[in-house]
Amino acid sequence: MDDLPQMNSKREGSELVGFWAEHRFFILVFATIVISLVLVVISLVIYNVSGAAQLDLSRPGYQSVSNQVEREDSSDQFSPSGSVTNESINEFIKLYDDQARKTKSVDAFNGDPLNPELLEFSDETSE
Amino acid sequence: MKKSFIFVGFSLAVVTAFIGIGAATVSAQTTLTDEQRTRVKSNCMVIKNTLNQLKASDALLRVNRGPVYDSIATKLMDSFNSRLTSNRFDAQGLLSISSGYDEALETFRTDYQTYERALAAAIRIDCTKDPDSFHAAIETARSKRKIVHEDILRLHQYIDDYRSEVEAFKGNFERVSGKN
Repeated sequence: MDDLPQMNSKREGSELVGFWAEHRFFILVFATIVISLVLVVISLVIYNVSGAAQLDLSRPGYQSVSNQVEREDSSDQFSPSGSVTNESINEFIKLYDDQARKTKSVDAFNGDPLNPELLEFSDETSE
Repeated sequence: MKKSFIFVGFSLAVVTAFIGIGAATVSAQTTLTDEQRTRVKSNCMVIKNTLNQLKASDALLRVNRGPVYDSIATKLMDSFNSRLTSNRFDAQGLLSISSGYDEALETFRTDYQTYERALAAAIRIDCTKDPDSFHAAIETARSKRKIVHEDILRLHQYIDDYRSEVEAFKGNFERVSGKN
């Protein structure tokens, strides 16, 4: 009489094992889809949060400028090893002045293109 | 004790009044007149096209200028600092400026992201239905863009400061090596 509950729980346990065994292929497919979706969401969050999205000119709307990207870095490297002499300091100054001139030649993000008077309310906009 | 309470209370009242005046000014700037609202609605597509062009050209500028600002730090400043440090020269001034430059560069990257998001948010707003929100979003993006430009000017200042410090180091070096 006391063995009856044990037998029932064993039967339920075997039914449960049977369910997993019977549907294991679908469970595998479902789990794979869920895991891949989670990974896609994580990678998209990293893509947006890290700022990589802002540097990705292959996105829709950027094709017009994507061919204007400067791909070659023409700047020279100063060697971090070696002795310090008048010549090495002058060599550094020459490299630095060249690079500083290139860097400062463009006053990036200057102007005020978002000025409402020019952008929204001007007569030129309405023409 | 009572006097200090009165003083604190008076100071708070003055500060609150200034904040209130500032908020009212901002509110006045972001409120459109009926004529302006109509103009925004009728020019909506043209404005949006302009914004999309600006977004693309600014993105190109960010992509092209970013490596230039990076390389002056990694290829020149850091290398020169390493050379001086490995030769046991005092490079504290140069290290401090290049560290400030790195921080300013990081700030530029973050501020550009904030600006780009603000501009994208403005573009997403339907200006035919909600011109006031659209105008407010453009004002936000405009202020963020100004911050990005200030970051660029700060980077240029650091580049000049580093150059001056190198000149000072060179002067000291020549004086010391001349003595020896």
